[in-house]
Amino acid sequence: MTVAAGLIVPSNRSAHAGASGASRRSFPMLQGGLSGTITVGYADELGAKPKYVEQAKATVEEANPDATVEIDLRQVAGGDYTTQLLLALDSGEGPDVIHIGGDRIGALADAGYIEPLDAYVAEWADWESQYPAPVKGGVTYGDSVWAIPYGLDTRFLYFRRDIFEQVGLGRDWEPANVAGILEAATAVKEAGLEDVLPYALYAGTAGEGGTTAHGFAPVLFAYGGAMQDEAGKWIGASPAIDKALAYYEEAWQTSELVPAEILTTAQPWKPMREGMGSGRVALLFEGGWVYGGYQTAAAAGDIELDDIGYLLFPTEDGGPSLTIGGPGTVWYINAASQNKDLAWEFIKAFNTPEITAALNLEDPHPVARTDAAALPEFQENAYLVAATESLESAVFLPNDARLNDVGTVVQSVTGAIAAGDATAAEASADFLEAMRRELGEENVATVTA
Amino acid sequence: MTAVPVAPHDAPGPPRPNRSTAWRRNRAYVAGLSPTAVLLALFFVAPAGWAVYASFTNRALLGMAAREPRFVGLENYRKLFSDPDLATVLLNSLAFVVGSAMIGQFLLGLALALLLDHAENRRYRLTPLVYAAVLLAWVNPSVIAGFQWVAMFDFYYGSLNEVLNRFGFASVNWLGDYPMLSVIIVNVWRGTAFAMLIFLGALRTIPSQVYEAARIDGAGAARRFWDHTLPNLRHIAVLVLLSVTMSTFGTFILIQTLTNGGPGIQTETIALYAYHQAFRDYDIAYGSTIAVVMLAINFAFAGFYLRVSRPKV
Repeated sequence: MTVAAGLIVPSNRSAHAGASGASRRSFPMLQGGLSGTITVGYADELGAKPKYVEQAKATVEEANPDATVEIDLRQVAGGDYTTQLLLALDSGEGPDVIHIGGDRIGALADAGYIEPLDAYVAEWADWESQYPAPVKGGVTYGDSVWAIPYGLDTRFLYFRRDIFEQVGLGRDWEPANVAGILEAATAVKEAGLEDVLPYALYAGTAGEGGTTAHGFAPVLFAYGGAMQDEAGKWIGASPAIDKALAYYEEAWQTSELVPAEILTTAQPWKPMREGMGSGRVALLFEGGWVYGGYQTAAAAGDIELDDIGYLLFPTEDGGPSLTIGGPGTVWYINAASQNKDLAWEFIKAFNTPEITAALNLEDPHPVARTDAAALPEFQENAYLVAATESLESAVFLPNDARLNDVGTVVQSVTGAIAAGDATAAEASADFLEAMRRELGEENVATVTA
Repeated sequence: MTAVPVAPHDAPGPPRPNRSTAWRRNRAYVAGLSPTAVLLALFFVAPAGWAVYASFTNRALLGMAAREPRFVGLENYRKLFSDPDLATVLLNSLAFVVGSAMIGQFLLGLALALLLDHAENRRYRLTPLVYAAVLLAWVNPSVIAGFQWVAMFDFYYGSLNEVLNRFGFASVNWLGDYPMLSVIIVNVWRGTAFAMLIFLGALRTIPSQVYEAARIDGAGAARRFWDHTLPNLRHIAVLVLLSVTMSTFGTFILIQTLTNGGPGIQTETIALYAYHQAFRDYDIAYGSTIAVVMLAINFAFAGFYLRVSRPKV
C-alpha cells in the first residue's frame, strides 16, 4: 500500500507563486503544426466536464488549424461505459484519448491498451514542477507513467450532525476508534427515529467498486491490515481481514445497523448518498465528490450543509486518521491511436491549472496540480482544502492488474454476510479460498498475528 | 387428433429419385432456406464455436491475458465444476425457469388463451383491452420493463409499498426479502403474451365440429377440455414449453435490472453469472465456459422435449 504523505497542500509562498504562475500562463504551451483527427471519448453522467472538454478541444484546434478533435460523450454511468470501451480497445479500436478510472492503470497497461507517456511527460515542464511525487506514483505502473490525473479521489466518513445531536452524540462527534462507528450507529438505531437509517455500509456486487473502496478497504486498513504484503502477494487471510469481516457481521447481521433494503435498490449508492443529504442516512463512508451534490443542494436551499459532517476514518486504536485515496478519473492515450501526438496535445490542453481548478471546484476533488490547488478560489473553499489535506492520510489501493479480481472476491464475501448467507468466520474461510482460486495459490499470502 | 398412417418397414416405398431429379425438386426449398441458414451460421453457430474455443483459453478483457491469451485446456471447466457458487446458481436457474417459464408463462398463457378464446366466441366487449394489456407487457423492452418494476418494488419510493402504507401496512422489502419471487413475477408478467398468442392460434385450428359433437354427446366444459382441447394442443404445448424454457434460461437483462443477482447471489442465474464473469469481471474465457455449459443444458432440454412430443406410433 502507498501512503501519500505531504501531498500538494501548498504553503502560502507556493500558493502565491502558483497563482501568479497560473495567471501568466493562460494558455498551455501547445505544440502547433499537427494535423489529422482524433476522438476524445468519455462518459459523464453529471454533465460537469463537457464545457471543459470543449474548451480544450478549441485550444488544440486553434493551435493546430489542420487538426480536428471529435468528442464522443456518453451520458451513462462509468461502469457501463468501461465495458463498452474495453470491448472496443480489445478490437484495436476506441477513441484516441481515453478517460476512465485510474484504478485500472495496471490492468490496462498489461493488456496493451494504453500508451506509456514517459516520452511526453519528459518534455512537459509542468509534470516535473506541478505534480507532487505521490500523484505521479498514482499513475505510474512498472517504471512508466500511463495517465495524467486532474482530480484525485479521497473519501470521508460523513455523518448527520443534526441526527447525532438529537441522539446525544453531539454535533461535533468524533469516534474514538473504529468500533465507535458501530456504537454511534447503535445509538441512532436505539433512538428509534422515524425514517432514519443508522448506517450505510457498502457490500456485495450491488455496491460495485464502492464495496472495496468505500466499504471493505477502510475497515481493513483501520484494523491495521493491508491488501498486499511487501513481496507484492495478495493477502488472503490475516487477523485484520477477520476483524473487518466481523465488523461487517456486526453491522449487517448481529446489530442490524445497516438495513437490508439499502442494497436491494437499483444503484444503491444513489439512495445512500441522497439519504445522507436529506437526513435519512446517519452515517456513510463515501467519496469526497458527493459533497459537491450537497453543496449544490444547499445552494438551492434544499438542505443545510452544516448538518453534514465529514471526518477521516478511525483506526482500531485511534480517532479519525485515514482515508482511501486514488488517482481519480484520468486521461490515457489509446495505444492503437494513429495520432498520439495530437492526443497528447489534447491532454495537455485539458490539464491546465485553470481548467483543473474550475472542474474540481464544480465537482469537488483534491486537484492534482499544485498550482491549481494554490489558486485563491480553491484555497477559499474549506471543504476542498480539507479534502486536499486528507490525502496526507490516504492509503492508495494497489495499482495492480489483479485489483479487479480481488474486488470480485470482496464483493462476494461481503455480499454473503450482508445477505445473511455467511457468518464472519465462514466469510473469512471463503475469502482465502476465493482469493486462491481467482489469483492462483502462489500469489496469495496469509498473515498470522 | 388423428394419427398419421405410417407404412410398415417392409412395405415397398415409392421409387427413389435420382440425384439430379432430387436437386431439381428441392432447389426451391434450398434457395428459400439458405438466407436463414447463413444467418444462423453467422449469428449462432460462429459465436457458439468461438465461445467453445474461448473456453479453452484464458482470454480476458484486462491484464496480460487480454494481450496474450493462451491455451489452458480444461482449466476453466475444472474451475467451474469446483466453483462453490455453481450449485446455488444452478438452483436459482432451476427455480427461475420452473417458476416463471413452466408454471408461470406456460400455464398462465394457456389459461389466458382459453379465456380470450371463450371471450371472443362470446364477443365480449372488453376482450381487445385484455389483449392489449397482455401484449403491451410483452412489447416492452426488457430494460424498461425492469426499471418499471424497480419503481414498483422500491422499498422507499415504490408504488407497491405506497399502496400498502395507505392501507396501514408496513413497507415490504420485495427485492430483499422475496428476490426470486419478485423476478419470477416480473418475468411471468412480461413473457406470458408469447405463450398466450401461440395457444390462441392453436385453439383456432381445432374444428368447432369436434366440440359440437362432444356437446351433443353430453360432455361438459371440463370433459371437452380434457378430451379434445388438450390432446389437440399437445404438440404446440411442447413447442411453447421448449421455447419459453430456453428463452427464460437465457434471460438475464430483467434480473440484472431488478436485483443484479442479489442480495448476495440469491437471484444469480447461470445466464447472469456468465454475463457477470465476462463483462463485469472481464474474464471472457470463464464467461464463455459458463455459456458453453448453458448451451449443453439447452440442447438437453430440447432433446428431452422433442422426445416427449414425438408422436407415438
